[in-house]
Amino acid sequence: MEVFEADIAIIGAGGAGLRAAIAAAETNPELKIALISKVYPMRSHTVAAEGGSAGVVQTHDSLDHHFNDTVGGGDWICEQDVVEYFVAQCTEEMVQLEHWGCPWSRKPDGHINVRAFGGMKIERTWFAADKTGFHMLHTLFQTSIKYPSIQRFDEFFCVDLVVEDGRVQGVVVIETATGQFTLIKAKSVIIATGGAGRVFRENTNGGIVTGDGMAMAYRHGVPLRDMEFVQYHPTCMPGTGLLFTEACRGEGGLLLNKDGYRYLQDYGLGPAEDKPRNKAMELGPRDRLSQAFWYEQQKGRTIEEPHGSVVHLDLRHLGEAYLRERLPQIYELAEEFLGVDPAVTPIPVRPAVHYTMGGILVDGKCASPLSGLYAAGECSSVGIHGANRLGSNSLAELCVFGKVAGIEAAKYAKSVAPGNTASLLKQAADSQKQAEQLVTRLDGKKGTERIATLRKEMAQTMEDGCGIYRLGDSMQATCDKINELKQRFKNVNVEDKSSVWNTDWLLAIELGYQLDVAQAMAYSAINRKESRGAHQRLDGFEARDDVNFLKHSQAHYAGEGAPRIDYGAVKITKSQPGTRAYGAAGEKAEQEREQAAHV
Amino acid sequence: MRAVAPNRRRPYVRSMVGWWRKNPYFVEYMIHEGSAFFVAAYALILMVGLLRLTQGEAAWNGWLTALRSPLSIAGHLILLVAMLYHAWTWFTIMPITLPPIFVAGKRLSATAITAGGLAATLLTSVLLLLLVWRLGT
Amino acid sequence: MSEIEKIIPIEVLRYRPEQDTEPVLQTFQVPFTDDMSVLQGLQYIKDYLDGSLSFRWSCRMAICGSCGMMVNGIPSLSCKTFLRDYYPVGLRIEALAHFPIERDLVIVMDDFIEKLESIKPYIIPKKPRTLIEGEYLQTPTERDAYEQFSSCINCMLCYAACPQYGLNSKFIGPGIMALLHRYNIDSRDGGKAQRMEMVNAEDGVFDCTAVGYCSKVCPKHVDPGNAVNLNKMESAKDYFLRFVMPKGTGK
Repeated sequence: MEVFEADIAIIGAGGAGLRAAIAAAETNPELKIALISKVYPMRSHTVAAEGGSAGVVQTHDSLDHHFNDTVGGGDWICEQDVVEYFVAQCTEEMVQLEHWGCPWSRKPDGHINVRAFGGMKIERTWFAADKTGFHMLHTLFQTSIKYPSIQRFDEFFCVDLVVEDGRVQGVVVIETATGQFTLIKAKSVIIATGGAGRVFRENTNGGIVTGDGMAMAYRHGVPLRDMEFVQYHPTCMPGTGLLFTEACRGEGGLLLNKDGYRYLQDYGLGPAEDKPRNKAMELGPRDRLSQAFWYEQQKGRTIEEPHGSVVHLDLRHLGEAYLRERLPQIYELAEEFLGVDPAVTPIPVRPAVHYTMGGILVDGKCASPLSGLYAAGECSSVGIHGANRLGSNSLAELCVFGKVAGIEAAKYAKSVAPGNTASLLKQAADSQKQAEQLVTRLDGKKGTERIATLRKEMAQTMEDGCGIYRLGDSMQATCDKINELKQRFKNVNVEDKSSVWNTDWLLAIELGYQLDVAQAMAYSAINRKESRGAHQRLDGFEARDDVNFLKHSQAHYAGEGAPRIDYGAVKITKSQPGTRAYGAAGEKAEQEREQAAHV
Repeated sequence: MRAVAPNRRRPYVRSMVGWWRKNPYFVEYMIHEGSAFFVAAYALILMVGLLRLTQGEAAWNGWLTALRSPLSIAGHLILLVAMLYHAWTWFTIMPITLPPIFVAGKRLSATAITAGGLAATLLTSVLLLLLVWRLGT
Repeated sequence: MSEIEKIIPIEVLRYRPEQDTEPVLQTFQVPFTDDMSVLQGLQYIKDYLDGSLSFRWSCRMAICGSCGMMVNGIPSLSCKTFLRDYYPVGLRIEALAHFPIERDLVIVMDDFIEKLESIKPYIIPKKPRTLIEGEYLQTPTERDAYEQFSSCINCMLCYAACPQYGLNSKFIGPGIMALLHRYNIDSRDGGKAQRMEMVNAEDGVFDCTAVGYCSKVCPKHVDPGNAVNLNKMESAKDYFLRFVMPKGTGK
């Protein structure tokens, strides 16, 4: 096996991984940084983020407002000290991206423009039309080329971490083009592999979003935190789940049921007004909007289409010219994929899985409990999203915590000595053997389970048990099903036996990752006996229970068995848990909170 | 532990032989490029005329007579068709060669640029024809 | 869903370097519905007919740039090309033209990446600015000037559409030229003089013969052919100005 000696290894070259690499390179140009990605960096799923990235800029806005929106939006299960740090850093990071060339949309005077977003009290979402993630990713990728100490491993697939003496000391990768293994030795490792939305059936995610980093850390004993909180985005394309950005509503789009009625007013988000009002109606948070859809469906007030029930996202009143300027990608998606001209006809939409709020447990410095291991971005749980992430906080998170992870990993790398190559290689060889046995198989027999069949059954059971609303019985069925699939996975058939670009093999490894992550999600969900944010139960636990569950769940890997779930404290600094309300009720609740604070 | 596995990569490079026949767009491109020869041919004919003019009246008249022959007229018809085609494709490609043009704050579309070019050609052709007509009568 | 299941023949150019000496065509019969993309057709093949078929894909929504391939000889993003448009005759899918085939529909893109890295695709500030000073001011008009060229998703369809690149892969090519141009005309950037070296080079813009197909196949309206041709003018200007301007004033 080849060995590459790095100081820092970064797994994943999306927004967080690239930002971390740049930060590490700037912190200490002497350090050799290995930036590993299973796809070329610009293919990473950051590319698909549309609406924008948060950062307080307006004079009538404040960090406190952003803090309160985020903590309230997360239903108070956020790490408040981390949120405080986050909101204070967002704007600087957005400016940094601007200096690196990000084509932010501008106001006529040349300053950057901001738009309204769901659950945000004041407009603070920086945007580059409706291709914000695309522009951020390409800006970061292209800027990263400036730094000679960043050595990229494009299209290298990571199969394992190498842990010795209680700290992570490297990673094992497969070069996709050759099928060859390399041990990348590193004194610190940053995981920035993104989310795991593909474990669900209908989702907005790219095919690569398979929870690889989460699973790798998890298998090495790092807990996955708050995995039960999975975000359904309310406006997605039926069937494929492709995303119609929240910016559609930020720009004034309306949600209508089959009677053309703005149904959100029936779910505590009203009153319905002609003009968009922040934190109300269509500008409510994603969990509430997806839940409202579910109820409309139960009441038979949705429209039935071949790919399931839909409601209408109505942008007609915004006019073609404005839509082409602000939402050009949305316009084309509707035209090309649905044959709908959004200036003439409302777009049919339904909720789909979009984001994993939880992830690898890390502290405010992005450090996991495993020494030398850091995580940033969607794969991590740094604690800012709580039970429901607000739109435009995730792109900001990539930058803020990508940078933190890069700096911290660089510091750590300086503080430790390189490991013993021979013994690390021995471990790496074990990892290689495990990965290869998926193809060669121990018993030498042909596997009997199709990868696609297992994947499909997993995605279906996750949707059935861990959807927008959850029941104990169906969650139990999901847990059982995942356990069954994990057993059947041992008998998986990798048809392709070749070395060059064997995607069949890589898909099988990914499926293994997905099953572990799915299991953590399902067990975390069934154990949370309350309703909070994106985790809503209908089996006697309909209310939030701060007495018993104002806590983070932590799933611990248990090999063959079910994960062990325990709980960690939630850090509260200045916002005591209160009523989470939106629309007129939300304004009233906010006033009461302010009055109470002044007493 | 096994040694480093052999590299089994063997990228395959496809031949470019006959590339221009593989796509109608390229066929059209080749015809467009080919039609430039007809433009050159006509320029040559005019140059010969100029040469004959310098050689005296008889030579000039001989050239004019040659132009009136049926073969020459047929040839000119072919030239005309080729040049019209060349002009058409030339203006079609023109938008990608020009910097953005703004009219009243709005960017001129590719079709508008092509149409503008064709219209200008038509207009100058008609004017030229009228001028020659006037001079000739 | 009362739609009757239709079957479409999909011919795929296979190349498995460990078993094929040259690419071979293989036909699959794929059941489809009218909303299915070519990519979804390939996914069906991989999932249920032949797990050894390899191709790149990810976002499914024409923004990640992974899934470029030749569909009936035309460079296309398979995620936004639809099977219904080829029914009942069927279609042929091949790896992107002009690139070496690594395997099946996967091409070797090292050349593209090396070019991308070589053109300094980042802001070289005209006037450095600290974060405290806030953003550079840039009017919507100044932004619009380069926005189109910044929309390139690196899908490389334009390279598959460029016969000059096919004949001589040293040619810088349309997509990378668009990226270079994007930075040169950004009001924040002052690195044009450094990048003109790449434009003027032997295999810079003048390898282009204005075929124009690159701009035609671009799925994101980048018009890379425009970037190449505008830089022919820039390059000519650069060349002549060198005679006029005393040394060192050309920036």
